[in-house]
Amino acid sequence: MERILIKTHQLTKRYGPVSVVKGLNLEVKGGEIFGFLGPNGAGKTTTIKMLTGLLDPSEGEAFICDYDISKQPTKAKALMAYVPDQPKLYGKLSAREFLYLISALYRVPKDVMKERAEQLLGMFGLRDRADELLEGYSHGMRQKVVLASALIHQPKVILLDEPTVGLDPASARLLKDVLQELARQGAAVFVSTHILEIAERMCHRVAILKDGQLIAQGSPEELRQKVGHGGESLEDIFLELTGGNENADLIKSLEEG
Amino acid sequence: MKILLPPPLSDPPQSHSFVQDFMLLLKNQMRVSWNKMRHRPVGTLIGMAVLLLGLLAILGSLGYFAYGALKTMPPQTAKGFLSLLFMVGLVSQIFFGITAAFAALYMSDDLELLFMAPIPIKVVFAVKSLAVIGSNLLTAILFAFLPGVFYGLLFQAGASFYILVFLVGIGLWAMGTAIAELINLIIMRIVPPHRSKEAVGFIGALAGILIALVFQIPNLLLNNQSEINIGSWIAGQEQMLSAMDFFPWGWGSLALVAGISGSFLVGLGWSLLILLAGAFLFMMAFNLVERGFRRGFISLSQGEGGRRRKKRIVPASGEEHHQQELTSYLAFKEEVSGTASPWLGMWAVAKKDLLSMKRDTREWFGYLVPLIIMLFFVAQFLFFKAESSRASLILVLIMYTIMFSGNLALQSFGREGESDWLLNSVPLAGWPVVWGKLVAAILPTLLLMEALLVGTALAIGVSTTLTLALAFGAVFLSLGSSAIGLFYSINNCRYNPDSPQQRISPGATLFMYLINLFFTLLLALGLTYIFLPDELVAILRDLPPVTFEGGFLSGIIYALYLLSRPLLWSTTLRILLGIIVTGGVWALMFFGFMAATVRQSRKGFRVELVTGGKKKLGKKRWS
Repeated sequence: MERILIKTHQLTKRYGPVSVVKGLNLEVKGGEIFGFLGPNGAGKTTTIKMLTGLLDPSEGEAFICDYDISKQPTKAKALMAYVPDQPKLYGKLSAREFLYLISALYRVPKDVMKERAEQLLGMFGLRDRADELLEGYSHGMRQKVVLASALIHQPKVILLDEPTVGLDPASARLLKDVLQELARQGAAVFVSTHILEIAERMCHRVAILKDGQLIAQGSPEELRQKVGHGGESLEDIFLELTGGNENADLIKSLEEG
Repeated sequence: MKILLPPPLSDPPQSHSFVQDFMLLLKNQMRVSWNKMRHRPVGTLIGMAVLLLGLLAILGSLGYFAYGALKTMPPQTAKGFLSLLFMVGLVSQIFFGITAAFAALYMSDDLELLFMAPIPIKVVFAVKSLAVIGSNLLTAILFAFLPGVFYGLLFQAGASFYILVFLVGIGLWAMGTAIAELINLIIMRIVPPHRSKEAVGFIGALAGILIALVFQIPNLLLNNQSEINIGSWIAGQEQMLSAMDFFPWGWGSLALVAGISGSFLVGLGWSLLILLAGAFLFMMAFNLVERGFRRGFISLSQGEGGRRRKKRIVPASGEEHHQQELTSYLAFKEEVSGTASPWLGMWAVAKKDLLSMKRDTREWFGYLVPLIIMLFFVAQFLFFKAESSRASLILVLIMYTIMFSGNLALQSFGREGESDWLLNSVPLAGWPVVWGKLVAAILPTLLLMEALLVGTALAIGVSTTLTLALAFGAVFLSLGSSAIGLFYSINNCRYNPDSPQQRISPGATLFMYLINLFFTLLLALGLTYIFLPDELVAILRDLPPVTFEGGFLSGIIYALYLLSRPLLWSTTLRILLGIIVTGGVWALMFFGFMAATVRQSRKGFRVELVTGGKKKLGKKRWS
């Protein structure tokens, strides 16, 4: 049985009197693609930032590969990769130089680094422009560079925040294939997304967050059973659980009326 | 496609030492800087070299001045002078360090990336702090190291004295940077991430104004024509100087004076005290900044981060209210509503620009700079009263109204930045957009310039009639100049996301100024016909008749001769011609440029995106 690679226990983040994330308990096993869903402002990015060590939790703990992210951040980070929704890169570095930097930061041996960088540049179709400065890249190309940099150090855990934004269909497909391959090899993949179709097709399990609280967790099939209707899409379940269905119902009734 | 990925790691790789990680990040920082330099256009590099030469020349002359001042002072006075220099140095370091710290610690795009890497956060901040320290190097050399070196040279001190100079310099350098970082900690807490670029622009502009003020002081002193004697001034400030001994800058001078007097150990004591205080403050700042980022006290660039959110208060009937709104919108959507007047559109464009100016603090500096520069002219007039000052002050104000209006209108279309699609896609193209832009450009300018003109006129005792005439004239001058500015703005606007205040090409700015100068000249001609200058008439009466003898120069002289003839006409004819020329020139320029801008607006305008040294030309012109 695959071991738990991402674990949170009563994870909480407060800003003054406002709780943004409230007592979150999550477990993601190796080999699992875990979808993290929720409306805007639900606390998804804050949770990811706490999981990646970018933000200290107000309460609770987060573990990556059994390392407490607050107490052993360097060890946890060495086994993890993060793909932010809006990648900020060094505009004055080329894609190749950037991949070399990330490799050095994650202590990839030099000979392996060059070979792997070339392989990833080729895989994401970046080889022809690998020596151009990143400031001249489009959003999609930057996203590809970040994805390549996330894979270069063989992460055991990968966290992605809206990874398909800005990617063309071919690249989005490539990303899905890469994530599935990573999961097949035993890595834990944690994806925060608004595209419910992706979550439904790709994720083994999903969690829905609303106002900082986990309101549902399980496989899409389990969620269908929990909500109590049959044959609904993940989108319907999501809207039902997050209250977004009210507007849809209203529009429908107006159309009928 | 078969995806080949190496299997995930099972255990983390061996950790690097602090030094290894530090060197890695430092090397990366240097590569980024080198790439930045390498990709700059040649013109920029030449400009930088010229600036550097100028700076070196200023430094040389300042050093020569300081050395000369030290030479004339007895040791006790020199101690006071050193205290003053160290104090000025510390204040400058704090001031410039705040900007550098803000840019390195808050605006830096790589923080998230580096925080994610498996390296201790302390390493990241060590490299960032090094950048902040580096930015203060020049100030430290000028105001902490060089004064000590000069002092030693002057009194022919031994080699051991320079150890004290080194310790004092390092201590003051660390202290200045640390205080800047601590103040910056508060600024980072106050300024939300999305306004960080605005804040750094604000701080930078403030620094620029301060530098300009500092460079104006010698000018004012020279105009005063009184002898500058720092030595005698310092000698008269005994009480202040003795109070300085309680502060680090005073300790620095005490250390150096002790060193010169042969009490090396006493000097060493004071030097070590400064060094320890500097190191303590630096470590405190370093730890607080690191902790601030880690705990979320200071937020990273995304989201609301450390900013406190207000608790949302949802009314009991919140859901109902939302549904009601939605229902009413959906119920009314099929009703045909009448088209509103384009005047409303014009006002909407103006209001959008006015709000943007109000909310972006960098915009304020466009208005503050002329105020500060004008203050110098007013101060010059008040302190060194001369009859010529009054005329030149009014002339400067008029010229300033014209150039200032043109310059602010020049920013108008570039302000759209990456949102240029909006004004191109709404059904407002043409006069509503252009007049909206004109209103937004002219309202604050007029308010400021009118206040400046009337205020200055009252302060220097200009007659009420002339004050009213100036106020009335400023409206027309502003309108004409803004129309010219708008035309160049719509055709040459650009946007640089890295420095959003760069909104126009330099060539267009130059052309706008030239056209405005031409506009002013023609207006001045018309006004000369109306308000006859007696001195000029006297010269003209004695002038022999000029004839055209062929050639460019003769043509110019003959044209000027012809233009001057109406000054000798009868009063009625002359004034009539003056009114026609002034009104005609103004109307031609104003309506001509406005019509051309409206025509371009109808065709569509494009804000050229500039990133670093490159221009993006891929965007299509809207049409």
